[in-house]
Amino acid sequence: MHEIGLEEKIFELVGYMVTSGRNLLDETPLYGPFRLVDAASRLILLLEDEEITSSRLSAIRERIDAGKYSVMTSPGEFRTFLGSLVDALVDHLNSQ
Amino acid sequence: MELWEAINGRRSVRAFNDRLVERDILERLLEAAIWAPSGGNAQTWRFVVVTEPERIRSIKTVSPGLLGNPAAVIAVCQELAEARAKGGALGETFLAPVDAAMATENLLLAAYAEGLGTCVIASFHRGAVGRLLDLPKGVEPMLLISVGWPAERPPAPPRRKDDIVSFEVYNA
Repeated sequence: MHEIGLEEKIFELVGYMVTSGRNLLDETPLYGPFRLVDAASRLILLLEDEEITSSRLSAIRERIDAGKYSVMTSPGEFRTFLGSLVDALVDHLNSQ
Repeated sequence: MELWEAINGRRSVRAFNDRLVERDILERLLEAAIWAPSGGNAQTWRFVVVTEPERIRSIKTVSPGLLGNPAAVIAVCQELAEARAKGGALGETFLAPVDAAMATENLLLAAYAEGLGTCVIASFHRGAVGRLLDLPKGVEPMLLISVGWPAERPPAPPRRKDDIVSFEVYNA
């Protein structure tokens, strides 16, 4: 298997985002925020693969990955998760 | 494995380890799929099994619902012209997706019995996947199934039991 370069990783992320944009026209509205935060997680993971790391980005990614699948089981829990994600962002901003 | 163990234990798995899934196991899964019922015994389903990592990555790029890195992706397709010829408009518009779903469930349970994890994906771009798989005109991908050795054991989401089943008449 060939080594996967940065451009290819970015292309795949762009493909995920573009295809999501098209598919979300026909999918449950809750998948919109899910795809957005999942794309954020994928972007941070891509950067980590390239050894571009930050503790706050990693913390956000871990928080996203821990909570994102609540979209499949509990809309209320998913909404709370998204709110807590924003709160965590503000905490990071305030601690600068 | 007992049937009820598979029915109760199967989960949608979205994290897989790197181990390959052997060809003979994949063939058993497809054998289970084609033993599913089909409307009018039409059997108009088609299955494309993808195991090449680069092709899986390409499919993932146009399939937002395909999460994790599975060892295989199975496209459950329908030959819609044949479905129409055998079942009329009902065959094409209703039985084709229903048959695909019944075959899929058989495959999921067989995969679980093998110790595999699976996830059914409807969030993918059908035209794009069709092009990547070189599907001929009239063969439509209905569902994708990711297949791999599970790296997680998700808990069972709660099941509604109180208000979804009626006997004799609705909501009696």
